[in-house]
Amino acid sequence: MAVTVRRPGQNLRRPPVASSGSMPGKRRLFEGWLITAFTTLVLIVFLMPMGYMAVTSLKSEQQLANLTGPILPMSPATFEYEGRQLDMMTVPMPDGSEMELAMLQPGRQVSQFIDPANPEAGPIQWEGNWRILQPAYELDPQWQNFPRAWENMKFPLLLRNTLIIAGLGTLGAVASSILVGYGLSRFNVPFSRTIMIVLIATIILPGFATLVPKYALFYRIGWVGTFLPLIVPHFFANAFNVFLLRQYFLTIPRELDEAAIIDGAGPFRTLWSVILPQMKAAIVAVSLFHFYFAWNDFFEPMIYLSARADLQPISVGLRTFNTLYDSQPNLIQSGSLLALIIPVVVFLFAQRVFLQGIDLSGVQK
Amino acid sequence: MAVPAITGKGAAEQPAAPFLLPKKTLARRRGRVGLWFVMPWIIGFLLWYAIPMLASLWFSFTDFNLVSNEPTEFIGLENWAKLFSDPDVRASVLVTARFGLIALPVAVLFPMGLAYLLVKKNLRGRETFRALFFMPSIIPFVAAVLIFGGVMNSQIGWVNKILELVGIDGPRWFLDKTYVYPALVFIGLWGVGNAMIIFIASMNSVPSTLYDAAKIDGASEWQSFRHVTLPLISPIIFYNLVIALIGLFNYFVVPFVLYNGSGDPGGATNFYALYFFRVGFQFFNMGYAATLAWALFVAAIAITGLLFWSAKYWVHYEYGRS
Amino acid sequence: MKRWNSVAVVVALMMVIAACGGETGSETTTTTGDTVGTEAPTTTSGDTAEEPSGDRTQIRWFVGIGAGGQPEQAEAQNAVVEEFNASQDEIELVIEIVDNDVAYETLATQIASDNPPDIIGPVGRDGSNAFSGLYLDLEPLVESTGFDTSIWPDETIENFREPDGTLPGLPFASFPSFIFFNKALFDEAGLPYPPQEYGPDGVSVYGEGTEYEGTWDFNKVAEIGAILAVDANGNDATSPDFDGNNTTQWGFVWQWTDRLFQQGSFWGAGYPMADDGTADVPQTWEDEWKWYHDAVWGTGFAPGQEELDALGGNAFQSGAVAMAGTHLWYTCCVRDDANNIPGDFFDLAVMPSNNGVVTTNMHADTFRILASTQHPDEAFAVLDYLLTDAALQLLTAYGAAPADPTLTEDFFASLDERYPQGVNWQVALDSAAYADVPSHEQFLPGWEQYKEAMDTLQSGLLTDPELDLDAAIPELEANLTAIFEENAE
Repeated sequence: MAVTVRRPGQNLRRPPVASSGSMPGKRRLFEGWLITAFTTLVLIVFLMPMGYMAVTSLKSEQQLANLTGPILPMSPATFEYEGRQLDMMTVPMPDGSEMELAMLQPGRQVSQFIDPANPEAGPIQWEGNWRILQPAYELDPQWQNFPRAWENMKFPLLLRNTLIIAGLGTLGAVASSILVGYGLSRFNVPFSRTIMIVLIATIILPGFATLVPKYALFYRIGWVGTFLPLIVPHFFANAFNVFLLRQYFLTIPRELDEAAIIDGAGPFRTLWSVILPQMKAAIVAVSLFHFYFAWNDFFEPMIYLSARADLQPISVGLRTFNTLYDSQPNLIQSGSLLALIIPVVVFLFAQRVFLQGIDLSGVQK
Repeated sequence: MAVPAITGKGAAEQPAAPFLLPKKTLARRRGRVGLWFVMPWIIGFLLWYAIPMLASLWFSFTDFNLVSNEPTEFIGLENWAKLFSDPDVRASVLVTARFGLIALPVAVLFPMGLAYLLVKKNLRGRETFRALFFMPSIIPFVAAVLIFGGVMNSQIGWVNKILELVGIDGPRWFLDKTYVYPALVFIGLWGVGNAMIIFIASMNSVPSTLYDAAKIDGASEWQSFRHVTLPLISPIIFYNLVIALIGLFNYFVVPFVLYNGSGDPGGATNFYALYFFRVGFQFFNMGYAATLAWALFVAAIAITGLLFWSAKYWVHYEYGRS
Repeated sequence: MKRWNSVAVVVALMMVIAACGGETGSETTTTTGDTVGTEAPTTTSGDTAEEPSGDRTQIRWFVGIGAGGQPEQAEAQNAVVEEFNASQDEIELVIEIVDNDVAYETLATQIASDNPPDIIGPVGRDGSNAFSGLYLDLEPLVESTGFDTSIWPDETIENFREPDGTLPGLPFASFPSFIFFNKALFDEAGLPYPPQEYGPDGVSVYGEGTEYEGTWDFNKVAEIGAILAVDANGNDATSPDFDGNNTTQWGFVWQWTDRLFQQGSFWGAGYPMADDGTADVPQTWEDEWKWYHDAVWGTGFAPGQEELDALGGNAFQSGAVAMAGTHLWYTCCVRDDANNIPGDFFDLAVMPSNNGVVTTNMHADTFRILASTQHPDEAFAVLDYLLTDAALQLLTAYGAAPADPTLTEDFFASLDERYPQGVNWQVALDSAAYADVPSHEQFLPGWEQYKEAMDTLQSGLLTDPELDLDAAIPELEANLTAIFEENAE
């Protein structure tokens, strides 16, 4: 087997074993397919709402309003008659045949149709309930929803703002949280238990309880209307990250850094060359989490940048489609899909880093 | 002992002078060195948290109204007395607890199960699967709420349409006092990406030698999960549990947006945090809202503390201390 | 270790995209500089001044409590701000458009943090009630500046006077209410259109000379509403085969006017508080609530909450509802050329009567100055501009009829441009004569709690087929009494 995870600490305890060769190849193959099939099934159920999202993003408002209409973005085929667009319907004729006709005037008992092949003949009377007729649907995806969302939101500007807020915030959050997590887990810091409790406490008290004094504080120092309240506080570590990193620090053998110290490495150097290489996965994870948090954070940017439309991030811009009375679900979804592109690309990149980081961490020596 | 060669090239050269310690006093002075590392957080705490937190504690002893032009007055324990006789408090605590009974286990077990599948070595296309399972947690919140509102609509929603295919008459998810909880949990599933990633990372770091050894001992798949994986990832289970618990205490945004803060259906989504938010930002009674927040805080600290205390019985730190 | 390189690549890539994103780079680069040094922040480059504005006094205008959030409205408002700033060099007007979902929280936070805006609006009575007591009395400023209030009828001005004699608002916009109806759906059902003229005492006749002839009242609405409601199989709500769980078309909806005190008031104005300070829901409201509950769950000709959600909230615009009782502001959301649904399917009809009385709820929006402003004179200069020079431009964007009668013609001309089918706007003008007195949004102590109690029952009305209003109303009254007492002065 290609990938074995081996940490220096472990191979002392138990000898590495030539693994999995014992399993017959065919059975392994079968098992692989089984697991893949099962996971696919779970995934389909899990992502089903995203299918709805995609479909919605491609519909017009008219298509959305048609509750009993097709699931896919389809519209009835139309025929132009005397300047009006008429919907095409499949109409059963008295002789048992079916005809595709354009509906001129629907009625409860009698409706009038136009034969597109012979419009000059004038309206055809048809008796029966037109609602049971199937419209002649054709696929009609509204690709222009994407450029519309793009333009209405001023997407490039919002993207720039979002990247600044999320990028810088992530940088600060990760760097500071590594230091704090390291300090809390590797040194006998006085009051470390108290610090840990207070740390957790800061995320237990509902954020809205401290909103007013916090806003007042940022207002007093003149930061309202700038990116600063959204970025600077993250340079001072936060509980989620520190707590997570601490959990990881605690899973790394202490003998390693002790040995490094005996070799004369200072705490920074120990952190950098002994500990961090073992924690790539956790660090990348923390970076991702913060990045995504900042990417979608809505309320804080809203209140601190309410007067600066030119500094607002995407999360705030999306709300233009969801105003008090007039919501445009299709544009919200297409805008959200646009907003999804960069985070997904980042994820794919980052995943490569932290997967290989983990799988190779023991082997590289 | 296998000491890894310190291979750092650029970085290791960095002079770490202020922190370089004479070896003898190492043990004693390490604590103070550690304090320096913790300093960013301490400063940040004093700057961004301490004052606002104390201020909100102070509010709880006043009749502070956000938009009143009458001066705020100190009213002692009046708010706190009100807290204990307020029927809405009792009701919302029950709502939160009821929801937590379903939501908490799911919040830990579902991502753990996913991670277990997604670290399987014979799963084809692992990277793609991981990305796809993670993707929903990046979808903007407004969009997600609308999506689920649509998908779980009892009349046109896909969920009920699919249930119809197998002959089940789907419930009115968001309008039913019972089904609204599974519906909310289902929405919550879309946010498990973070927990899943953490689980994957921690499962990946379980040395495969241990599994091989277990196999040699004749352990079944379940046994090796139970006796190898579980103990080694227990710090991460612990982390996710604490985070999920804190999330539960502060849970209100989804029902707030879904029901415009009304607590529908029939008060079934009147979560404690929602009630707090309404009192503070819809009725502007910040004095009482701060009281609600601090009562929550005290209770939450107690419960979280209990968890931390219990950790030493079930959380297994391979190399550290709890 | 090499793997870190790709992280660096990603970061670099992001920075490049960030840099390309926009032009206003100066602000952001300073921000970057400030924050990179981890230690205490160095500068407070905060001040929102973007372009050098010299010694101009800054006046902040907060939008979001009412209309003003839609992209087209935002555009119109931004244009007004620019024009105002170009028109003089004393004042710099800054606009703040906040999503209505969080506008109350944001404004409250700003007020509580000593950073309140100077002007808020457009805001109706409802929104004003939430911040009641915070507005500047405009009378002294009207006198000192010699502002000409004769452009408005006296009674319109007096509408804004408070019981204590102050005048915290001036007329700007009014939104009478009436019926929007979908012509195609009436044609399809073979029904005559609803009347477009009020009778002598307001009461008009429906379907004169047809088999449907009768008084235009809410019973008539229910009667034709049932014919206009159709299920997926084509059965209408008068048929025994009608499937209420599968409705595709409805007869009637209170379009965004379904708050209980709103919909109730259409059956007769009232005030839900008795003289002794206890709650007493007007009988007309109770009757209407029962009527509408039956419309949703009994006959099934009005959509329930889930159906509304499925229609995206904007039910009438979806084309699936034949009649909508709503205000003139609904022109906001009946689409025009900018969107892909043509707005040529509707016309206006008069409000039905109840027991011989017609009541058309009235909304009156304006801008208000907060008493906390540091610059009342400058704020008033801005208010003056918004109420007069910019009035037509803004009113058109909000879809609000002008309080200034001289603007009426221009206003409807601009609406005719949007709806070339020729809408009978006279209905809107005539409806103003039957405005609700007292207003359904007349202030009550504990306004936000009052609304919440009302909304709880409303959601029951729209979601619970079994709701027993006879039991629920006394319960509501008990709740309201408690709220009124708690918040009594």
